[in-house]
Amino acid sequence: MITIKKASKSFDDHGALNEIDLEISSGDSIGLAGASGSGKSTLLRCIQGLEVLDSGTISCAGRTGFMFQDFQLFPHMTVGENVMYAPKRRKTPLAHLEIKANELLHHLGIAQFKDRYPASLSGGQKQRVALARTLISNPDILLCDEPTSGLDIATTGDVISLLKSIQNRKTTIVIASHDLDFLAQITHRIILLKNGTIVSDIEPRKLSNPVEYLRKLYE
Amino acid sequence: MIQLEMFRFIGCGVVTTLQLLAGGLFGGLALGVLLAILRRNSFGKLFVVPYASVIRGTPLLLQVSIIYFTLPSVLKIRLGVITAGIIALGLNSAAYVAEILRSGIENLSRGQFEAAKTLGISPFYTWKDIILPQVLKNIFPAITGEVIALLKETALISVIGGVDIMRRAQMVAAESFIYFTPLCMAGACYYLLVLSIEVLARKLEKKMRYDYY
Repeated sequence: MITIKKASKSFDDHGALNEIDLEISSGDSIGLAGASGSGKSTLLRCIQGLEVLDSGTISCAGRTGFMFQDFQLFPHMTVGENVMYAPKRRKTPLAHLEIKANELLHHLGIAQFKDRYPASLSGGQKQRVALARTLISNPDILLCDEPTSGLDIATTGDVISLLKSIQNRKTTIVIASHDLDFLAQITHRIILLKNGTIVSDIEPRKLSNPVEYLRKLYE
Repeated sequence: MIQLEMFRFIGCGVVTTLQLLAGGLFGGLALGVLLAILRRNSFGKLFVVPYASVIRGTPLLLQVSIIYFTLPSVLKIRLGVITAGIIALGLNSAAYVAEILRSGIENLSRGQFEAAKTLGISPFYTWKDIILPQVLKNIFPAITGEVIALLKETALISVIGGVDIMRRAQMVAAESFIYFTPLCMAGACYYLLVLSIEVLARKLEKKMRYDYY
């Protein structure tokens, strides 16, 4: 569970937060929607601890995993090394780790790229590597920053099915995205942010046309 | 003195020159990395910035002289010529290496630090396994340039009595009153060393490529 109380954060130029209150229950999948500069990415980064709040609190029960918009794979490591580096540093037994990594790479359809470097992969493939790198540590909460930006429609479809398969693992998912159609397909709850405040909090399945509803508020 | 003997005498200075280069380079790289990391901390910056400024703003010849001639009286320690030379070259080179590293670190995206942080990797391993390998690869050509500059600067050690290539050439000249031949021979020695460094650097650079496969 994630509890956010009166979270505020200001920047000189972009995406500030203004006294955000939010509760996210475990196992849920949440979409943070909003235009650029609305604060959705900032909120996600604050949950992960990449940004420090000016005031207010955020508490997370469980380990978080973070997916960057531009993946941030380590370019000097192969796909396999990228995925296994962090658990190796935490002294996970090597044999166990290899099996787990192979399983994960296989599940995500990137087993054949294990010995390749990230520079030789497509955007969608890189994203799968980033997902594998995050999932290998079994996070309780998965935070995704703009997972579909820069991907074509077919790849976006793959991302949807991948994220849905993670939902079955009872992982809490929080996705920041400007893509309302994408969020409506995959999340149980969409929170619309505008200038750092929550302007709408809906369950898309309970509305006949959630995308249209949010789009009106968007403008 | 026959030419061949002259060349052998001068060529023996390569050992001293390489000792100075190796020592200075090792010190320069180690201290340079440390300075570059310290520089990212606001307290560390207070020390690193003036250090780099003073070192880069004064002649190496002066720095060598201060270390060799004044340290014995100030700190009551007696330094050998080679040791003093290595210390001076290392302290000097570190300022330049730190500056090269700084630009390399700044060019690396902030996201790499953040990615390491989200994966729970400690600052030590973030630098060792994630940041420095990428930065060192990116700045390798600049570091090669620094190594070549350092090699040529070792010649200044002849001023404090180090018997390197340069000093040996001067000794031959002083004894035989022939200047052109020994100095050209010294030049050839330095030039061959620089060419070897360039060949070695090119080979290493090829080995480090991971951009394409």
